[in-house]
This record gives sequence, C-alpha cells and structure tokens, in this order.
Amino acid sequence: MTQVPVQTIHRDPQLFYWILFPITIVMVLTGILRHYATVLMATAPKKLDQKTTREQRSLAHGISVRGNFHTLSKRSFNARRDVLITAYESGSYLKDPENQGQPPPNPMSDPSSMEGMMGMMKNQMAMIIPNTLIMSWINAFFSGYVIMKLPFPLTIKFKSMLQAGVATKDMDPRWMSSISWYFLCIFGLQSVFNFLLGSDNAANQMAQQMGPMAPQTAQMFGPGVDPNKQFLAEAENLAVIDHYSVLDDVEQRLLEGIRI
Amino acid sequence: MPSERELQISPIVQESLMHNARTLQNLQSLTASLFGVSAGILGLESYSGFLFYIVFSLITSALFYAARVAPTSISSGKAPLDTSRYFVGAVEFWTGGLMSGLAGFILTWTLFYGLVSA
Repeated sequence: MTQVPVQTIHRDPQLFYWILFPITIVMVLTGILRHYATVLMATAPKKLDQKTTREQRSLAHGISVRGNFHTLSKRSFNARRDVLITAYESGSYLKDPENQGQPPPNPMSDPSSMEGMMGMMKNQMAMIIPNTLIMSWINAFFSGYVIMKLPFPLTIKFKSMLQAGVATKDMDPRWMSSISWYFLCIFGLQSVFNFLLGSDNAANQMAQQMGPMAPQTAQMFGPGVDPNKQFLAEAENLAVIDHYSVLDDVEQRLLEGIRI
Repeated sequence: MPSERELQISPIVQESLMHNARTLQNLQSLTASLFGVSAGILGLESYSGFLFYIVFSLITSALFYAARVAPTSISSGKAPLDTSRYFVGAVEFWTGGLMSGLAGFILTWTLFYGLVSA
C-alpha cells in the first residue's frame, strides 16, 4: 500500500479575517435578529367572545374530568358526569345552537383561521428571507475560495457539496469552501444560541422545523371541526368510564407502608 | 414500567421532567462546543477527535450524575447510577447529549483546527 502524501495548500492567513470571521459573525447576528424578530412579531392570541370561550372551556372541562376521574370520589364524579352529558347532548354549551345540523363552514372563508395562517407565513418568511440573502451574499463575495480543512476525512461524494464553486478535480474533499462553512454554521450554531439567548429561542430554523408545528389547542378547536360532534363524542367517552378512586384501599397501602 | 394505577397514585409531572431534560441538554450542547475547541487546539484528526468527543461527553454525563443527581437520588433509596428519580430513560441520560451536541462539536472543532493548523 502506497502512502498518499498529504495535500497541503498554502493559504493567505488574511482569508480567516476577511471570510471566516465575517461569515460567522453575520450568522450569529442573523440568528439573534431572527429571535428578536419572532418575539416582536408574535401576535397576542385573539380575544374570543363569551360564547366561544364557553364552548371551548366546557369541552376542556369534560376532557379533564375524563382524564382525572381517579382523584374524584364516586359521588362527585357521577354528579359531574351527569351534568356534562346532559349539557353536551342537549347542546346547551354550543356557540349557536340553531345551526346544529349544518355542515361546518369552509375554513378558508373564516377570517379567524386566516390569521393563524398569516402567522405561519410570517415565521416561514423570517426563515427564508435571511437565508436567501446570506446565501447570495456569500456566493457573490466569497465563492471560489478554499478556506479550511476539515479535521476528518470524507468520501468523494461530499466534494460537490463542500467545494461548490471550486472546480479542481484532484483536491482532497476535506478542503472546504466558504459556502460549506456557511452550512456548518447553520447546523452547529444552535449551542451558541442556547448560550446567548436561552434554550427556548427562535434563532435557529433547524430547531423550529423539528419542533411541534402548531400548539395542540389550535388543532382541537380549529376551523372546520363541528363542535357539536366533539361534544357528542366527549359525552360518549364520559359515559363509558369505569370509575374508581385512588383512595380505594388507601388504608391497606398505609398499613403496608408502616414498619414498626 | 409502573402501571397506570401506580402513576395515578404518585403522578409524574411532565413540566418538571422537561425542565430536567432541558437543563441537561443545555449543559451538553455547551460542553460539546467547548470540547470542539479543545479538540481543535490539540489538533486531533478523524477517529481520535470523535473518540475524544465521545469519551468526554460520557465524562460530562458522569460528572452531572455525581454532582446533581447522586446526592438526593442515593439518599432516597435508589441504587447507584440509577437516574430514574429525575429522568425517564437511562439511555437518554447517558448518551442523549452525544447526538444533539455533535453539530456544535464539529463546528468548533473545524474552526479551531483550521485556525491552529493554518
């Protein structure tokens, strides 16, 4: 086996000051800016009128009774269940009881749902616009420079990704151009933002894509869902619960826990 | 795994679990970047660099266990090296930081390797 001599490329140290540090600093500052832009653009949740709030809260009440029935005594659970089931089935909690049987309105025509979509659009824009700008900035100013060597070997497949704009055939894929430093920054700066902005920051787009897209409540009371059907389903769920209490046999457990 | 009945008798609070996990993850991502700095300055390459990272993140987890988890966990009757008082999964506690910190490690490793060996 022949030893392949290690490729060395002599680079001007000024490359670090004029390419590496500007890209890094711009990436960090963009992340911070994106975080504060997201914080500032976040709209306060819209105030709901009394009827809508009652509809949503009463459904949530039913769900939490179903989830925590074991902390209630048998009598109080039965009282709650009976009240809730009667109210659900008669539809007295509904926002507008008269259009009970009608199909739900088209979600696109509802102005409140458009607001949610606008918020999502804004978030997407806050990610896309800076990325496009920085990409084109790096391509315009710094394309074609080889700035660094990765400390670990890579296969030849990475060559087109790491050495974009450097069309040299025999160069080791470990050498990387400025655009690949940009990609490394995208993936690796999350820990820096954690340190600078706290752990629930909105600076990194990668974390946002992996996180939950929408809060649960929006799904539950979202447009296009018939509240009457939800109520009927919840009434059925409540009716089939086989009640027991955590305080059943509590004397036995207490006596077992006592050691003399 | 405790049964549903036991969970209802002594419930587990999700918020506290998440807070614990997040504290651990913050520590690990921060230390991962610092390990990258030291690996770059030492001039480690390929396998030795990754080995350095794995060994030192495991040491970080062990120190975290010794400093923050062990005192109350052992005195409450858990076996040594049992993290179930504060964390759900043992595997997650010991190796969870490896994946999440890797990107930060590679970033700072590359940066300082490039700066030192240029």
